Amino acid sequence: MPEQLGFDLPVRRALGREDFYVSPSNAVALAKIDAWERWPDHRMVLIGPAGSGKTHLAHSWARVSGAVFAKPADLPGLIAAPAPCILDDTPEFCQDEAGQEALFHLLNAMRAAGAPLLMTARSAPARWDVELADLRSRLTATDTSVMEQPDDALLAAVLAKLFVDRQLRISPELIPYLVQRIERSFDAVHQVVADLDAAGLGTGRKLGARLAGEVLDKRDASAP
Amino acid sequence: MTEAAWGKAKVALQTTVGQNNYKNWISPLQLMSIGGGVAHFSVPTSFAGTWVERNFSDQLLHALADAGAGAHRLDFSVAEAATAAPNNTNATPPPAARIAAAAAAAEKDQPSASLDARFTFDSFVVGKPNQLAYSAARRVAEGGHVTFNPLFLYGGVGLGKTHLMHAIAHQLSVDRPDLKVVYLSADQFMYRFVRALREDGTMEFKELFRSVDVLMVDDVQFLAGKNSTQEEFFHTFNALVDQNKQVIISADRAPTELKKIEDRIASRLQSGLVVDLHPTDYELRLGILQKKVALYKNDYQGLEIGENVLEFLAHRITSNVRVLEGALTRLYAFGSLVGKEITLDLAQDCLVDILRASDRKVTVEEIQRAVSEHYNMRLSDMIGPKRHRTIARPRQMAMYLAKQLTSRSLPEIGRRFGGRDHTTVMHAVKRIDELKLADSQLADDLQMLQRMLEA
Repeated sequence: MPEQLGFDLPVRRALGREDFYVSPSNAVALAKIDAWERWPDHRMVLIGPAGSGKTHLAHSWARVSGAVFAKPADLPGLIAAPAPCILDDTPEFCQDEAGQEALFHLLNAMRAAGAPLLMTARSAPARWDVELADLRSRLTATDTSVMEQPDDALLAAVLAKLFVDRQLRISPELIPYLVQRIERSFDAVHQVVADLDAAGLGTGRKLGARLAGEVLDKRDASAP
Repeated sequence: MTEAAWGKAKVALQTTVGQNNYKNWISPLQLMSIGGGVAHFSVPTSFAGTWVERNFSDQLLHALADAGAGAHRLDFSVAEAATAAPNNTNATPPPAARIAAAAAAAEKDQPSASLDARFTFDSFVVGKPNQLAYSAARRVAEGGHVTFNPLFLYGGVGLGKTHLMHAIAHQLSVDRPDLKVVYLSADQFMYRFVRALREDGTMEFKELFRSVDVLMVDDVQFLAGKNSTQEEFFHTFNALVDQNKQVIISADRAPTELKKIEDRIASRLQSGLVVDLHPTDYELRLGILQKKVALYKNDYQGLEIGENVLEFLAHRITSNVRVLEGALTRLYAFGSLVGKEITLDLAQDCLVDILRASDRKVTVEEIQRAVSEHYNMRLSDMIGPKRHRTIARPRQMAMYLAKQLTSRSLPEIGRRFGGRDHTTVMHAVKRIDELKLADSQLADDLQMLQRMLEA
């Protein structure tokens, strides 16, 4: 019998602050975001590996602060009329000279107006490729909230959330089984949930430890 | 009555402030009462109150008046439920709030940019590297006879050029309120000029800038390559110098080094006094930190920071005063958040991104090498089959460290230890966790290894 075709449709994610699981690896970062009215110079860089929930956290911050997600094209308008905003994946904004200059003026304008600015990135500003020295020093001096790679408790919580986001029913032993066997990273969690979803859909089998074992073996076999 | 009026006003506001602003800022407002010409609103956060007051006051008052509920002032208070802060701290809002107020107070049509209230001569820390620039700035700030024109200040990023210029403006506003002082950055000069061109207001622009008594233009290197703005700047500059009005210019390099600035302009810029701010030395950096700590005493009451932390920062962050001060601010913010004294350990933890050159990740192989060197055993025994305790224990420690310091999965760690099963790794982690509590020597070794690997 041929495997049923599964489509990699975008999954509707729960993005509220209440959907955010607090563990020691992200507790300080969350507390810093929650204290946004007292950010030094009204700005903050939220740092975390891919899939750690930066955008999730930024969305929930947008709800309490009224901030908007800005694109590079929005910067001139924001420089002229500063308003609370989020620059998701800020290094993307700094790719050329013009972008760096725009960001530099934005930082100055936002600070003078007292408007809060949240920047997200995978690494600290000191590591970004920024040539404009004035911008570089401002970014490096900005306070950071760092979300570490997940500890086991967070790994379990993220797994649970991702299964719920995909509306998958799983057997209870699956999560502890996975926590002990997958890499301790957000990337790995997202990958394994997607693989399991596809495997379950293709075969109609229950999402449990046995299927998970096969999925992990298959991946190890295809890894270089 | 108030409720009906507020409902009516809200409908009008949807169009006057726009849908987005309405949703974010106006709709969360609750009109509590109107009395004595004051409309009292309840807001979800204090920031929302400040923001609405600063940006939408006029529209709000107008809409209320149209709805038959006239008031001439707005008052915002934070709704009770929302004030429960996530983390209790004993700190008052940082000084940044004061700047915001100052910025709000600055009139929009004034040519001068808003000044940072913190940048005064009193808060400027003088040392050998900036002595000359400081003295020249003080001299200019007396507002008396113009002896050198222009004063050209230059130096690397974050060495205090802007601080000195703001200080001059503050000082003049106190001692010589009769003088018209304009401070702005080169790009603001450009924006204004471009706007004047677009709105057909170049005559007003010229009049405005040529009638000032003291003109300060910050970061003039940003005029590079902007030819028509340079031209206008040059005329303004000449007109003022000819009238014997003081001009103060700053840049990140000497006039002769400025790129894409016309030669005749560059040469005019160095016709007065050119002073540079040298890179800071250790003493100056320590002095800057101590001054900042004294300022923070009030804002962060009860939060202690050790002198050794300041020495450490002054020693390690050498390139840039802005980053140095930013680091200190971050430590205060963090200390007040977690309610802890700022120790050297905490500082190193908190500032790891600035202090360390890269985010290099520790690998399992490095852990194996470090542990075998520490215990004087062969690296091959780490992955070999021997089970003698002098070998098995260090191997368990290496597995434990691999679990803690890398993101490898248990099966993957097992594979890298000679193809062992993930349950063996799990057992090692559990065993070391137990031993750590009982065996202080082992706990010390672990800590030392971890530090070494992460350094």
